[in-house]
Amino acid sequence: MGDMSKLLNYSLRKILICAGIVLVLSIPIYYFAISRLWQYEMDEHNVMLTTEAAREDSFLIIGAVTLLSVIFFIFLLGALIVMNRILSKKMWQPFYESLAEIRAFNLNQPHDIRFKKTGITEFDDLNTSLEKLLTANINIYNQQKEFADNASHELQTPLAVVQSKLDLLSQSEQLSDAQFQLIEEALLALSRVSRINKNLLLLTKIENSQFADKEQVNLSAALEELLSQLSFYFEEKELSLHLDITPGVMVEGNRILLEILLGNLLTNAVRHSSTPGEVHLSLHADYISIKNSGKTPLLEEQLFKRFAITSSTTSGSGLGLALIKQISGRYGWKVEYKFESGFHEFRIGF
Amino acid sequence: MKILIIEDEPELAKSIAVYLREEGYSCDFAADYDEALEKIRACNYDCILLDIMLPGGNGLAIVEELKRLKKDAGTIIISAKNSLDDRIKGLHLGADDYISKPFYLSELSARIFSVIRRRQLGNVNIIEQNELKVDVLGKEVTIHDKPVLLTKKEFGLLLLLISNANRVLSKAALAEHISGAGVVDFDSYDHVYAHIKNLKKKLHDGGCGNYLRTIYGTGYKWEI
Repeated sequence: MGDMSKLLNYSLRKILICAGIVLVLSIPIYYFAISRLWQYEMDEHNVMLTTEAAREDSFLIIGAVTLLSVIFFIFLLGALIVMNRILSKKMWQPFYESLAEIRAFNLNQPHDIRFKKTGITEFDDLNTSLEKLLTANINIYNQQKEFADNASHELQTPLAVVQSKLDLLSQSEQLSDAQFQLIEEALLALSRVSRINKNLLLLTKIENSQFADKEQVNLSAALEELLSQLSFYFEEKELSLHLDITPGVMVEGNRILLEILLGNLLTNAVRHSSTPGEVHLSLHADYISIKNSGKTPLLEEQLFKRFAITSSTTSGSGLGLALIKQISGRYGWKVEYKFESGFHEFRIGF
Repeated sequence: MKILIIEDEPELAKSIAVYLREEGYSCDFAADYDEALEKIRACNYDCILLDIMLPGGNGLAIVEELKRLKKDAGTIIISAKNSLDDRIKGLHLGADDYISKPFYLSELSARIFSVIRRRQLGNVNIIEQNELKVDVLGKEVTIHDKPVLLTKKEFGLLLLLISNANRVLSKAALAEHISGAGVVDFDSYDHVYAHIKNLKKKLHDGGCGNYLRTIYGTGYKWEI
């Protein structure tokens, strides 16, 4: 919370300052009243005091008044603190309950949110408004997820139709080279659309908490397997690969998701490396790090957003890093990006 | 060879049929669940292409029905869902292969080629073309009876080319085939040339004739 003050202390401080001021102001008034009374009694009984004795008396009065004030102030203070604690706690209890409820709320796993009836109009109003707001949010979120899911499903069939027609067109007799090139280019663009669509579907599925089954996965072995599948591309791009893999690193997770995670990390490194280039890959019990040579640092805040860094020059779907983030987030792992001495580094701490 | 195309999108079914008829298959259509059941009960097919999202019922039930009828047809599931559950369920129920939309007709044709051969016994599984012998099941290639070592991807490419012999394969279709195998979603469009070059070299070094031709600049064709 830092230097923010709690609601309870805030009201208490105000009250204490107020009481303090009243008490301090009361000292001269008490003094004035008592000394006048004293003087009156003296005159009544014709008692004359030497100036010395009179001064002594006034000091005595000031002392007694101050002492009494301080004593009562301390009593008052104690009573106020105790009262304030008890009253505020009781009064704000419903507020803290609602707060805990909202804190525990997660849009990804929405449970039915129900606030308790408090019997206090203000809090009940607040809770009703919160309920409305949250329900609206959950609905919009669900609609959006459903939309992404349906849209990508519905797209698959027309995509398949277009692809098959282009395919047939490329079989026509007597095509010129230029005509065939046109078909190729259309097919290329189309294959990118399908890839984006597939990854969108995958993202929605992860968001919908499919892929729920977990097992102990040997990450080292999975990584080695992927590396052997991709070795061709490393060679093609003249990338020298430096490996530092601890054998037998086990993590708990869904095998398919973990393979997608590793696959995306590796293909990103290959895709975005300079040619010739270097890739450093380390896997240890508590983290995986992949570095590839590159020229300019990437914008970190944009990096993990969908379609943030796609361009026509890279052939990625623009969803690879979003997938990496989503999968890591699901298992509570932290993804970090760094650009240092000509290397992009992605690091995931398990 | 008779093929039943169970697909509710008529344009897609038409494209598949046009492509497959040119390969010498005869094609039948079914556009919904009931029609599909009727056709599989009435006729014997060598291969059935099955879209599992069918109007009127779940396509997976058709796989079960085929099994119950003891029909000896190869089944390839076509799905728009690309969901692993369906894939596993389908293959578990006895489907032979699974392909997700969108797909290349050449890829589908290669799958049909393999499925039909896998179901038959004897020498059908070995494709012979002059000095070249390809064992589809054993995944072995020999030239002049000497074995040629191909990587998994190269063998896959060779099979795709041979099963679509005398047809033009676009670079995009080859790229899809190369990247489609694993979980790694790698756009290998730029790598097709390198793969083809390696395959060509291995075949040539083994003494194989030049059957693999480049056509229209970026397309490829296996000539018989």
